[in-house]
Amino acid sequence: MLAVNMSEGKTEVPYGTLDLLILKTLDTMGSMHGYRIARRIEQVAENLLRLNQGSIYPALIRLEQQGWIRTQWGISETKRKVKFYSLTRAGLKQLSIEVANWERTTALVARFLGAES
Amino acid sequence: MKLRAAVARVRALYSRRKLDRELDDEILAHLELAERDAIAAGLKPEEARQSARRSFGGIEEMKEDHRDRRSLRWMENLLRDFRYGMGSLAREPGFAAVTVGLLALGIGANSAMFSIVDAVLLKPLPFPEPERMVRVWETPPGLRNGTTTLTFLDWKRQRDIFEALSVENSTRAAVATSGDPERVSGKLVSADYFQVFGVKPQIGRTFARGEDQPGAPPVVVLSHAFWRTQFAGDPRVLNRDLVLDGEPHRIVGVLPAGSFDRDEAVFWKPLIFAPDQMNRGQHWLTPVGRLRAGVSLEQARAKMTVLRASLDGVILLKDWGFTVDPFAQILVGDTLRRSIYLAFGAVVMVLLIACANVANLALAKGANRRKEMALRAALGASRGRLIGQLVTESLVLCLLGGTAGAALGAILLHVAAPLVAASLPFTADLSMDLRVLGFAAAAVMAALILAGLLPSLRTSFGKLSSALNQAARGSSGSSAAVRRTIVIGEVAASVVLICGAALLFKSLAKLRQVDAGVRIDHVMTMSVDLPSAAYPSPDSAARFYESVVQRLQAVPGVEQASVSQGLPLQGVQWGEGMVLPGMRENLLVRLKLVDPWYFGALQIPIEAGRGIENRDRAGAPPVVVISQELARQFSKTFGIGNPIGRTVGIWVPGYGPIPESLVKLQIVGVIRSERTAGLNAPPELVACVPLAQAPRQDIKLVVRTSSGPETAMPAIREAVGQVDSTLPLGDVLTMEQVKERSILWARQPTWVVGAFAGVAVLLAALGLYGVLAHAVTEQRREIGIRMALGARSGDVLSHIFRSAFAMLIMGLAGGLAGAFALTRVLKSLLFQVSALDPVAFAVGCILMTLVGLLAAWIPASRATRVDPMTVLRDEG
Repeated sequence: MLAVNMSEGKTEVPYGTLDLLILKTLDTMGSMHGYRIARRIEQVAENLLRLNQGSIYPALIRLEQQGWIRTQWGISETKRKVKFYSLTRAGLKQLSIEVANWERTTALVARFLGAES
Repeated sequence: MKLRAAVARVRALYSRRKLDRELDDEILAHLELAERDAIAAGLKPEEARQSARRSFGGIEEMKEDHRDRRSLRWMENLLRDFRYGMGSLAREPGFAAVTVGLLALGIGANSAMFSIVDAVLLKPLPFPEPERMVRVWETPPGLRNGTTTLTFLDWKRQRDIFEALSVENSTRAAVATSGDPERVSGKLVSADYFQVFGVKPQIGRTFARGEDQPGAPPVVVLSHAFWRTQFAGDPRVLNRDLVLDGEPHRIVGVLPAGSFDRDEAVFWKPLIFAPDQMNRGQHWLTPVGRLRAGVSLEQARAKMTVLRASLDGVILLKDWGFTVDPFAQILVGDTLRRSIYLAFGAVVMVLLIACANVANLALAKGANRRKEMALRAALGASRGRLIGQLVTESLVLCLLGGTAGAALGAILLHVAAPLVAASLPFTADLSMDLRVLGFAAAAVMAALILAGLLPSLRTSFGKLSSALNQAARGSSGSSAAVRRTIVIGEVAASVVLICGAALLFKSLAKLRQVDAGVRIDHVMTMSVDLPSAAYPSPDSAARFYESVVQRLQAVPGVEQASVSQGLPLQGVQWGEGMVLPGMRENLLVRLKLVDPWYFGALQIPIEAGRGIENRDRAGAPPVVVISQELARQFSKTFGIGNPIGRTVGIWVPGYGPIPESLVKLQIVGVIRSERTAGLNAPPELVACVPLAQAPRQDIKLVVRTSSGPETAMPAIREAVGQVDSTLPLGDVLTMEQVKERSILWARQPTWVVGAFAGVAVLLAALGLYGVLAHAVTEQRREIGIRMALGARSGDVLSHIFRSAFAMLIMGLAGGLAGAFALTRVLKSLLFQVSALDPVAFAVGCILMTLVGLLAAWIPASRATRVDPMTVLRDEG
């Protein structure tokens, strides 16, 4: 249910990978609020990928309910009370699982593509 | 991890508002930050805001997604429907209150009645392996009778049939644990009595083997209730004695709380047979037994038949056999069983009517809401959601109705339990238990389906366009027809009930009119038991009778006092054969033992000869006074015109353990027949023997007073106390009360059916009112136009009443058909009234019609007040 912008040759967020992107972002950058997470993902993707920034919030609540990230109240740059998200120990473990899964999947797909060409 | 997520989701349900608010805050902060960055990148404020919005994507869409992710969506919907349902109910509190009230009434009455059905008919006896518990009888042709001591002992020796076999004779004794002596009931039993019931004592022990043999020290076992009230539940009671009729008995055990507390008996002691009782003439024992494991009822019966054949040489009554009956069957008599089924049938009918009413209300409401539903459907609500919303509304109603009903049921049961307890067997535990609540829940579910789902299906599957197009004018034809049909059904069911109630009431009135053969006003009765220790001989008892009557006659306000065994209407204990020397035939007569003042006290006229007089005492020639009925039968059987002066032989009971003996008696008089066995039973053949010539320990005092009989009681007590201060008085009742008690079997079902019939009629009237009121509301326009065109209010009235009458007539027809088919189940409860009595049926129909027309009058008069101008302006 990611909102996708198909224009300008930008890729949609591959299904199920937003969780991975968020977890990895938090792993690398530490605690940060929703807007920063969205911006960071966009920056790393270097305009290859465009996501509706809002779509990270449903993903965040789910990750929080799973116990993979935790929230703390903090103050934003605009002096507003916002939630800061950070990785939990379980989240770290989940990240390694998802990374491994992802690598297996891409390796598998790469092998198929390699065999055909 | 899964569990944690699930918990978080459920929690999210409750904190929905908070989560929504937090999300809103986050969105706001996000947009602000994005805007700030955009401005920093060189955009104008207006462009920056738009860019931030664009990057964020659809806000509402995201919020929905957020809610979906974080929580159980269907639960959230359900809760919202629930809240919406509550809200819509709160907007129509009248509808909600009436519906909940109807459901509560139906469910409450049902669960209370089901508690009684459950306690008496459904629950197994509260003893281990109750199917092995039996009663053992001798069987005169077509009957069940008690047995004799020697035959009982023969039965008890059949160890291959019975694991335990015990006698069970009621007894009474004066007990003085604190203050005045009190008369309590007890049972005389064999040592293995409690083995029959499989009951272990709470403290101490029950009887040991041999404690029912001659020479054993006197022991007693107490009921739990008696132990608690008299000994404050003190466990040290085991070392103490209970003084019964002046004789100390060692307390050896106390029973556990439960069934035996509902029995009349508060103590049990072993019955030790006296040498005089070792015979085969006196049928005084009704044994209760437990079959050996693995022995079926049929096997036991077969073995008893074989035993009977082997005893043929010693059994006196050659045409009597032996048999074994299940214990439970004896506890619940046919009359009680029928009464309970009847009351339950009535209550189920009331529940059905209540549900029909609720369904009708819901239908009417549904019709009113078609537009609302259609609008919501047009705005995109799925049918599932619409049905869901309607069902949750019904669910709310049923929950409220069910809860109120369960509470009402508990109250009803609480009120009814003491009233009906006397008619129920002691094993019946009247309580709202899980099964009863389960039944109530089932009733609620049935009500839900009836009242909720059907109307909601109709409402939500109706054609949207037609509902939307249909302006407020006119009623939706098919829905109105369904509602009329429901009302007709309600009226029919009510008519069945009310006809049944009318039959029962007519029967009860007839029963009350029966002349008991005695004057029952201004008569006080009470029972006295003379303990063997203080009154060891017949003479000592006879002296008591004389002095107590003397004392009582001297009391101011007492017109006449007498002593007798037994009272009118309560049945006569002794049934004996009467023989005329030289004749082969004999007559089975009821033997009453009365003193010289009995006929006077109850104003029983002497038709011929003389009554019993003071000279008929011990030692004087034995005499007997017979009833008219017996005189007539006597002449017929023996071919003798005037029985007076004849000498007959009758078996007369002895005093205490002395067995009965055949006594030659001279018939000296004939009295008018009294009703001995109850108002519904024809007069029996009664022989009255002077009490002084056949004294008894269990006697009744009958006192005729000049003013209210209750007011004389203190003086009566004092007078008896002057004769013997240790004698407690029991069963203190006016003769009127004795009469009322004797027809309890007819009174209880009558009032129960009557009450339910009343409720049913009210409910049906309510249903009729509802349909007519709704029709008037829907037809206001039509009525308005008619009135504008010159119709008078009389025409409008007759229009409404015609509609009411049509429904009533159809209901009456259906009801009468039902009554013809169903009232025959009442047959056994009816006295001198046919199950198809036209007067009762007519009364039922007229009552229903009157109530129905009264219900129609309110909407009809409202219709006449319709102002044509207002209506036409409103909707034109």
